[in-house]
Amino acid sequence: MSQNYRLQNIGLINRDKKISFKFNGKNYFGYEGDTLASALLANGVHLVGRSFKYHRPRGFFGAGVDEPYAVVQLYRNGETEPNIKATEQELFEGLEAKSVNCWPSVNFDVGAINNFLNIFLPAGFYYKTFMWPKSFWYKVYEPFIRKAAGLGVASTEHDKERYEHKYEYCDLLIAGSGPSGLASAYTAAKNGARVILAEEKPRFGGSLLTSDVNIGNQSGKDWAESIISELKEMPNVTIKNRSQIFGYYDHNMLVMSEKVSDHLPQTKKFHPNKRLWYIRAKEVLISSGSIERPIVFGNNDTPGVMLSSAAKEYLKVYGVLVGKNPLVFTNNDSGYETAIEFKKNGIDPIVLDSRKNPSGEIIDEAINLGIKIKFSYVVVAAQGYKKVKSADIAGISEDKKQLGKIENIKCDCICVSGFWTPTIHLASQSGNKTKFNEEIDAFVPGKSKQKETTLGAANGIFSLQNTLKTSFKAANEISKKITKKENEISIPNVVEKKSSKHDKFWCVPLPKGKNYKRFLDFQNDVAVTDIELALREGYRSIEHVKRYTTLGMATDQGKTSNLNGLQLVSEIENKVVPAVGHTTFRPPYSPVSIGAIVGREIGKHSKPTRKSPMHSWHEKNNAVFVDAGVWLRPRYYKIGNETLFEASKREAKNVRTNVGVCDVTTLGKIDIKGPDSAEFLNRIYTNAWLKLPIGKARYGVMLREDGIVMDDGTTTRISENHYHMTTTTAQAANVLSHLEYYLQLVWPELNVNVVSTTEQWAGAAIAGPKSRALLQKLFPKDNVSNENLPFMGYMEADLFGTEARIFRISFSGELAYEVNVKSDSGNYMWEKIIELGQEFKIQPYGTEALSTLRIEMGHVAGSELDGRTIPYDNALDGLISKKKDFIGKRSLQRAAFVAADRQRIVGVVPLDKKTTIPEGSHLVKDSNAPLPNPKLGYISASCWSVEHDNPFSLAILKDGKNMIGKKLFVMSPLKNKIIPVEIVSSHYVDPKGERVRS
Amino acid sequence: MLHIKCPHCGLRSQNEFSYGGDASVKRPELNQEISDKDWDNFVYNRKSLRGKHWELWQHLSGCRQWIKVERDTATHEIFNTLKADEEIS
Amino acid sequence: MNLISPLANIHSKGQFGDYKDKNERELLKISELKNLLIIQIVQYKNSQVSLENISIDNLNFNNEPLKVTSNSDTRILWNGPKNWLLVSSKKDLINNLLNVCNESDFAVTDLSHSKAIIELEGKNTREVLKKGCPFNFNTLEKNNSINSTYNGIAFTIDMLDTNPEKVRLFTLRSFGESFYHSITDASLEFGFKTI
Repeated sequence: MSQNYRLQNIGLINRDKKISFKFNGKNYFGYEGDTLASALLANGVHLVGRSFKYHRPRGFFGAGVDEPYAVVQLYRNGETEPNIKATEQELFEGLEAKSVNCWPSVNFDVGAINNFLNIFLPAGFYYKTFMWPKSFWYKVYEPFIRKAAGLGVASTEHDKERYEHKYEYCDLLIAGSGPSGLASAYTAAKNGARVILAEEKPRFGGSLLTSDVNIGNQSGKDWAESIISELKEMPNVTIKNRSQIFGYYDHNMLVMSEKVSDHLPQTKKFHPNKRLWYIRAKEVLISSGSIERPIVFGNNDTPGVMLSSAAKEYLKVYGVLVGKNPLVFTNNDSGYETAIEFKKNGIDPIVLDSRKNPSGEIIDEAINLGIKIKFSYVVVAAQGYKKVKSADIAGISEDKKQLGKIENIKCDCICVSGFWTPTIHLASQSGNKTKFNEEIDAFVPGKSKQKETTLGAANGIFSLQNTLKTSFKAANEISKKITKKENEISIPNVVEKKSSKHDKFWCVPLPKGKNYKRFLDFQNDVAVTDIELALREGYRSIEHVKRYTTLGMATDQGKTSNLNGLQLVSEIENKVVPAVGHTTFRPPYSPVSIGAIVGREIGKHSKPTRKSPMHSWHEKNNAVFVDAGVWLRPRYYKIGNETLFEASKREAKNVRTNVGVCDVTTLGKIDIKGPDSAEFLNRIYTNAWLKLPIGKARYGVMLREDGIVMDDGTTTRISENHYHMTTTTAQAANVLSHLEYYLQLVWPELNVNVVSTTEQWAGAAIAGPKSRALLQKLFPKDNVSNENLPFMGYMEADLFGTEARIFRISFSGELAYEVNVKSDSGNYMWEKIIELGQEFKIQPYGTEALSTLRIEMGHVAGSELDGRTIPYDNALDGLISKKKDFIGKRSLQRAAFVAADRQRIVGVVPLDKKTTIPEGSHLVKDSNAPLPNPKLGYISASCWSVEHDNPFSLAILKDGKNMIGKKLFVMSPLKNKIIPVEIVSSHYVDPKGERVRS
Repeated sequence: MLHIKCPHCGLRSQNEFSYGGDASVKRPELNQEISDKDWDNFVYNRKSLRGKHWELWQHLSGCRQWIKVERDTATHEIFNTLKADEEIS
Repeated sequence: MNLISPLANIHSKGQFGDYKDKNERELLKISELKNLLIIQIVQYKNSQVSLENISIDNLNFNNEPLKVTSNSDTRILWNGPKNWLLVSSKKDLINNLLNVCNESDFAVTDLSHSKAIIELEGKNTREVLKKGCPFNFNTLEKNNSINSTYNGIAFTIDMLDTNPEKVRLFTLRSFGESFYHSITDASLEFGFKTI
């Protein structure tokens, strides 16, 4: 209940605001400004979860994004989220969290049996097991593995939060607000640059929040605060906390995830929970700092073993003691900082320094404070199962191979410092070829590929003086190149302790006769023995070692394990580390919420929808819609309890008997103008266009350069140099780009303008034997007789005061007209058609009936013009001009295209006149032939012929022109059907085309 | 996401453009005799270069102009852009 | 005869989003613009006509991308090389246009019915646009116009004024409802008033 490990007078938390929270069902208190981790530590809680494979007890290791252990299931505002790092989750009132990967509880976990079976579960064990008997896979192994795999549990509820996106631009994007980030932001901002400074934590300042330094005449922390205050006032600066830049992409675009409300009990209504920023920066400054490297020893995963800098952070930022009897194990000066902080707060730490004779200011300070130090000493193993109770320690020889006598000392935590690993992820993602720095035994950025510069600790510079100097200078140079302005800034004087050399030592040898598990990757349970096994089995490349052992593949992405793994591999292989290389860094730097990536593209609006001007009329009249690309088109109009089949049959029959009206607005319309329009059409289409009279329409087919039919449509000559082209709905955009391609790149000498007018005009097709009669009622002032408006004719007319275009063209094969009016009048036109059509028994018809009508007429559409057929296949070879060249003509000479038995469109009727034929089925000669049964053709479209009252299909059939009358079989393995059929002409209805000309 | 300098409109994001193939291909003249081999080369055969190469993009949600872009296919670095009627030197 | 504008079915007056406790003047204002003359004018490649000699409603056609020439009724937007979009409340301008831009030199096409137009006004206008459009809005000034995409939908922005920002957003008519949803959704955070 009480926070036994919380100190009174130190920390940046707000002790005035007490917060209550629950962990594993138990109630605790913390303060505003705590993370879940710091609050739990304050309450003395160290056991947080169980490791992935062996279910060993795990506690806290770090204090931030590098945390490998403390992954919890979070509950907030009625929702749950898995795999949240307790070290990153800010405490809010009512927070609830649970341990993962343990049952029934973290304290008593049945899965711990794995720990004792560990010799059977080394790296890659799953590649060698679960294989026999074969039948066990689906029934036994897979369900078991599925249950055991993973850490947290994904919610199956709909995510109620809003997530938003934003595109932003700046001159300088600075990642990280530690000393180098702040110095750079300040300098660049003073030079007038537009700066975005991003900090992943809630507090700005980075390492300045915990280090004992002076900048100018202020403490490091106060200096950071004053810089931030000044930056906040500058209009050209945007500073964002809780925002992590997780990916570096092409052309200096970086993506940042902003946690807008994760630190609050709930998100403000209408506001997002996370915002993803797509930032394009002229220059990027990477000041991402460095992450402390652990030293590997026996049982180093025991709760209470943690990074020394984390212990220091818990103390200085949160006022929390990670232990009251700490042991500090270090190979460099950093461990001493932690020991000194403990001592200053009334705790007596013991320091084990692996180095024999280091000397330096900080070591002197520690000695002067009376801290007990043992040089040339190491921790051999941590002891205690659920919590560190003591440590086995020993002296170590200078060559680091021989251990002295082992003694056991009591301690309740072990703070480890193995020096520092620069955070080079963003630089590497940008294409920077990183190089190994022998001085610090770590990789640093090398040659930049994009406009980025890495500064400070991320570049391997650990001296604050040097960091500030290089950052001020670099930011000044870079920003003044952009703004052409310079504002002189004096670099403040730094007081810091000079450091001594670190020990090149990261793995304590095993004492004789002991086989303690020494862990490298803490989340995925990858130990030294696993790396040794992988290498023994021949997995030499670091990429293979990684994947075989899963080193670095957990949610912490190897931040505290990759380099040690690399070091171990190079030692065993007797290579140098850079020769082994590191695995490729890929975004994201740390896990990103999928919701944030999706943004607002959810539900109904996950893609845009296009609606015709008559859409609400269709809705009100029981239209059932179908997706035609992004358009919504009526598929059929439902009367009573009609099925799709019944409705479409009724609609189609009515068109053939009376008159029907169909919304054809979606078909592409392209307005073509210019003195060279006719010449252009002549080059695009296969047939002749130079002599099309004004006021006439002509059917046209256009090919790709490979001879395949691209699209078909009718183009009308409106006036001398003005044409109106139509295309199919699906190809409208492609055809326009195709025309623009040829006009701009291939024949720029032609003076032609093309522009889409699909949306300018609403279109209705009026079809059926009574269509002319209806048309006359619609246009009482105009003469729409057969003589005045013949087949393929065009006229402009007056629809009760609104301008209209009438095209006498037919897709249905019946006498038909397409009427266009300006879109705002579309609804008016439609309602007038319905109103005046009543006496002719008009019914609206949808795409299903439309399909039926054109299929039984043998008119080709998208299902035949599918990107594989040439004009001959579609019986359109009559439209190929022999006299002129056009796009794709040369390809028609290919041997396959002129073969005597080339495939061609035919009609298909089932012998029983009852069985419907599935689209996509195959046509074969003999249904009993052994496989592979030679495929003669395929069914492209099927319908119920309303004219003949039986099923009818179109097919593309080999040697189609000679197959009329033959009996074949349709085979559909998918629908399990074999249907005997007869091949007939594709023009099943009105083969002479008399109706359209009536 | 590429940042492409449309020679007409200036620097714009990739999502305003649509990729359109190899810019170094010249369509043969109409009404000229052409061998099967040369026609096949025009229609089908392309070098799949690793490195700098010229390609076509259409600025669909912009000026609707086709442009030529010199881009390194491995690193995505863009070196040059030209208008449709400008020759690649 | 009833004319139905593109957004008639979804645009209704009211206050939406985070508008409570805010001064009405702080809210974004969203409205549909209707009844405008919208014409595409393209000059043919071999036309010798000099642009300095042509004006419509006393406005010139300029060849600079981004720039808009305008007066209180009419605005001419650069739409591409030798390609302009004329937007005007003076419907009868079309007659003058057909005389001045003759057939042999220019292609003049009426697109008045093909666009859905939203007018957006308020200090958070740029923030709304940044949410869905990848253009650098730090560089867009008064009387600038660009074509780009908003959440995947192609659109045109005409910046009428700054301080406060006032923009006209044009998209294809059929995309109108999806576009309206996108813009209003992005405005919820700031609170908006539909007029």
